[in-house]
Amino acid sequence: MKANVAEGLEVGTQLPSLAVRFTRERLIRYAGAATDFNPIHYSEHFARLAGLPGVIAHGMLTMGTALRVVTNWVGDPSRVTSYFVRFTRPVVVPDDANGVEVQFNATVAAIEGSLVTVSIEAICDGQKVLGAARAEVDLGMRVPHLDHES
Amino acid sequence: MAITEAHAGRRYPPCDPYQVAAAKITEFATALGDDNPRYRGDSPIAPPTFATVITAHAWDQLFGDPELELSLDRVVHADQRYTFLRSLRTGDEVIARLVIDKVRIRSGSELISASVDISGGDAEPICTAQATFLHARQVPA
Repeated sequence: MKANVAEGLEVGTQLPSLAVRFTRERLIRYAGAATDFNPIHYSEHFARLAGLPGVIAHGMLTMGTALRVVTNWVGDPSRVTSYFVRFTRPVVVPDDANGVEVQFNATVAAIEGSLVTVSIEAICDGQKVLGAARAEVDLGMRVPHLDHES
Repeated sequence: MAITEAHAGRRYPPCDPYQVAAAKITEFATALGDDNPRYRGDSPIAPPTFATVITAHAWDQLFGDPELELSLDRVVHADQRYTFLRSLRTGDEVIARLVIDKVRIRSGSELISASVDISGGDAEPICTAQATFLHARQVPA
């Protein structure tokens, strides 16, 4: 089904974007799954005590969700060989039914043999919340158009 | 004493073995809202960032080290890198080991870089998690 991800792939190719809504429910679910119970991720009291404008999402939740853009595209998550993000801005999650939407975009930044580097962008309220986010994926095959160049 | 640049190279004993279970993988994928079929069924592989569940135990050693005088409520996760040799998968019994790579002292804060190596049976390397933490020093009263 996903065997042809490399077809027509070149630097600048955009992967299908993803918009995800972060709600308090999702934060609590992630806290339990990741066993990260820092109260700034569920308690307004502790978030404000820490100098934050409100309850914020776990950086690792944003990081993990952002990678879905890449794994949705490649299909097989075991093809991801490295992943880096800088946490540049907190994602504040209001205590209501809607939460906040984070938009994830990804672009092919480099292709070397079967290794594809994807640059990822995460935007919340018009601001980038991740910096220099990059995942490297080994497609395990030559990317066709590169074979013509050499 | 508090953390200094000389703490670079400090190694901690291996964490208790962690057994990767199918139900935990699926719970983690669901928390990410990820319906990838590889994370479900009898023998799922783990989402790449599942490594953080295991890494967190090693971070506890760092933040709990009395010699470093770190306070978790003044720590900000600045960046995170994962390098994978293979996916974590159901049935893996893995061990995490933490080393402090680098400490940079700034005015009012410290930047701490630490690596956690996750290995399987026969010391098979599986994944490395490198994090940078910004620790705000307490202002003397």
